[in-house]
Amino acid sequence: MRKYETFFIIDPDLPDETNTVVDNKVQSVVSSNGGEVLTYVPWGKRKLAYAIKRHTRGLYVLMEYAGGPKLVAELERNLRIDERILKFITVMLEERFDPEKERERIAAAQAAAVVPFSEEEESTVGVLGGEEDIEEMPEDFEAEAFKEEEEEE
Amino acid sequence: MMTVRRKRRTFARRKICRFCVDSDLRIDYKDSKTLRYFVTERGKIVPRRISGNCAKHQRVLTLAIKRARQIALLPYTATHML
Repeated sequence: MRKYETFFIIDPDLPDETNTVVDNKVQSVVSSNGGEVLTYVPWGKRKLAYAIKRHTRGLYVLMEYAGGPKLVAELERNLRIDERILKFITVMLEERFDPEKERERIAAAQAAAVVPFSEEEESTVGVLGGEEDIEEMPEDFEAEAFKEEEEEE
Repeated sequence: MMTVRRKRRTFARRKICRFCVDSDLRIDYKDSKTLRYFVTERGKIVPRRISGNCAKHQRVLTLAIKRARQIALLPYTATHML
């Protein structure tokens, strides 16, 4: 057993009931293929860095689970078929899944109560704007880069 | 060109790897706020000679940025508009 996480984007325009259907479907794929869902956390709607299937925002969901490589293949196949899922990424977290350690970690996480990106953050960003939302980046990086490149000439 | 070779590193501030200094700072592809700092306005990954990261962390960071791009947390490029 390995520990994986799959981070995927659901179509944001769906009604809440459909979201629950998707949630259940994804989780049932994991459990019916010999896996175990550890956490299933919706991260809320967020603006996408680029449009995916003409959507500029998406509902992010992070799911951690334990299972074998076959499960990942099956899960990804299902995600690909489902049109409500815009995109996904699967990352292996641990080679060997240790249920004991996992229980401790979840307990600790609940105590800390982590909040992923908040709703406000995304709403302050302009609807159209790729340009606006990157502006917070440090300008000195580019400036410095320029200097150095000049010097190399 | 006629340039008398300008003195290199007039601003020789010692660059330090932020991730080595602060071990609490994890590199995670889902943490786009931290990653933003290592990406230019155009969405390019900032080179090590500028950001000052150590080789080890730069490698991890690069992977994280590329993953974040895959899942649309970071842009591949700035001109990727509808």
